[in-house]
Amino acid sequence: MAMTLTLRVWRQAGPDQPGRLVDYVAHDVHPDMSFLEMLDVVNDDLIRKGDDPIAFDSDCREGICGSCGLVINGVAHGPDPGATTCQVHMRRFAAGDTIVIEPFRARAFPVLKDLVIDRSALDRIIAAGGYVSVNAGGAPDANCLPIPKHVSDQAMDSAQCIGCGACVASCKNAAAHLFTSAKVTHLALLPQGQPERARRVVRMVEQMDEEGFGACSNEGECEAVCPKEISISNIARMNREYLKATLAGE
Amino acid sequence: MPSQLVHALSSSVGSKILIALTGLGLAVFLVTHLAGNILFLFGPETFNTYSHTLLSNPLVYVAEAGLLVIFLLHVVKTLVLFFGAQQARPQGYHARRWAKTKSPRSRKSVASTTMIVTGLFTLLFLVTHLGTFKFGTYYESATGMRDLYRLQLEIFSHPGYVAFYMIAMALIFLHLWHGLTSAAQSLGVDHPQWTPRILAAGRVLAVVLAGGFFLLPLYTFLLARAS
Ligand code: FES
Repeated sequence: MAMTLTLRVWRQAGPDQPGRLVDYVAHDVHPDMSFLEMLDVVNDDLIRKGDDPIAFDSDCREGICGSCGLVINGVAHGPDPGATTCQVHMRRFAAGDTIVIEPFRARAFPVLKDLVIDRSALDRIIAAGGYVSVNAGGAPDANCLPIPKHVSDQAMDSAQCIGCGACVASCKNAAAHLFTSAKVTHLALLPQGQPERARRVVRMVEQMDEEGFGACSNEGECEAVCPKEISISNIARMNREYLKATLAGE
Repeated sequence: MPSQLVHALSSSVGSKILIALTGLGLAVFLVTHLAGNILFLFGPETFNTYSHTLLSNPLVYVAEAGLLVIFLLHVVKTLVLFFGAQQARPQGYHARRWAKTKSPRSRKSVASTTMIVTGLFTLLFLVTHLGTFKFGTYYESATGMRDLYRLQLEIFSHPGYVAFYMIAMALIFLHLWHGLTSAAQSLGVDHPQWTPRILAAGRVLAVVLAGGFFLLPLYTFLLARAS
């Protein structure tokens, strides 16, 4: 059954322009539509009327690229746990609902247009140390580098981070500690990450602070919105790694 | 190395570690303070002798200076991070809901969202508390010691004081509830099996500490009424 909904969307013409919430009526919304499909339909309507369509980011539309973050009714990535915005479906809403749609907010994530933000601050944190400086060469022989199963599982859990920035968006301090700690953890657990282990954590934390993110206060709202359900245990590990690296004089 | 360490401790992670360490230091003080104050239940002799022994030890000045430094570090570091967090999100959300409503994985609570308020209140409380007791009226007991027992009895015979202390302890309870569990996380103490127990232990300690200091004024009030 098609529904009619009211959307209250953040519209902002450019980075330094003032923005405001604008109301739109979304007609013929089918419960099986994805949230982004619904926005596509609204945009088609706007274009037909000669209006400026609502700018929002998306790419894979299957929860793996991390480009589609929106704050839906006050919660990053909307109402479904362990899901990205593109995985939210309209059956989660009822006819007549008003849906408030805002961009991820942080000083380090400037709004480019409407709901599109610049998340390159996260890329710069990676560039500061979230890599392994070895020539990887060809694929190694199986089992020539034994890694215990539980360690590889943990590393994979952390490596699932898609860098969407929802952790920052939902944190009252706009902290990027969950993102940074996931990257620190997945490399700290694996043998390839060992040579740069201490330097990595110090540099990434430094870059994170430089970008203007806030400081974590251990509330765990980030974990609740993370589409990959990455645990704040990663933050504890990052703090531990940082403490060790600092005491070792890094 | 020292300048490097100072630099590291001023980063966001270093600051959190410092806030956790100083917070735990203050909690250890509260444990000893409560243990000492429980001696009030054993009457004037025991209580006054205890406080006299404690205060006549010259090391108490060193301990007090240490506590003051720890306290100031805790307050200053938290304020710096608090204002930093305000700057980290200059434009807020129009609609804002706790992510806890979507997943129980969040640890957000009334306690965690009011840390700055309960913390600043504790600062205010501390000033009045020291003014009332440490720097309050000096009564001398028959044996020539400071009669803190009498002072406590007198202060808490006023219902206003009792009510103020009870409200203060409720707020300090909230601060401890999040603080004691949060400190472990900040210090990187985390383990799949142990974390739930550490969280529980922190909460039990919060109940015991705040509960103890909540009941003592009430007990004193009732005692004053009865006599
Ligand atoms: S569009 Fe790729 S995760 Fe949503």
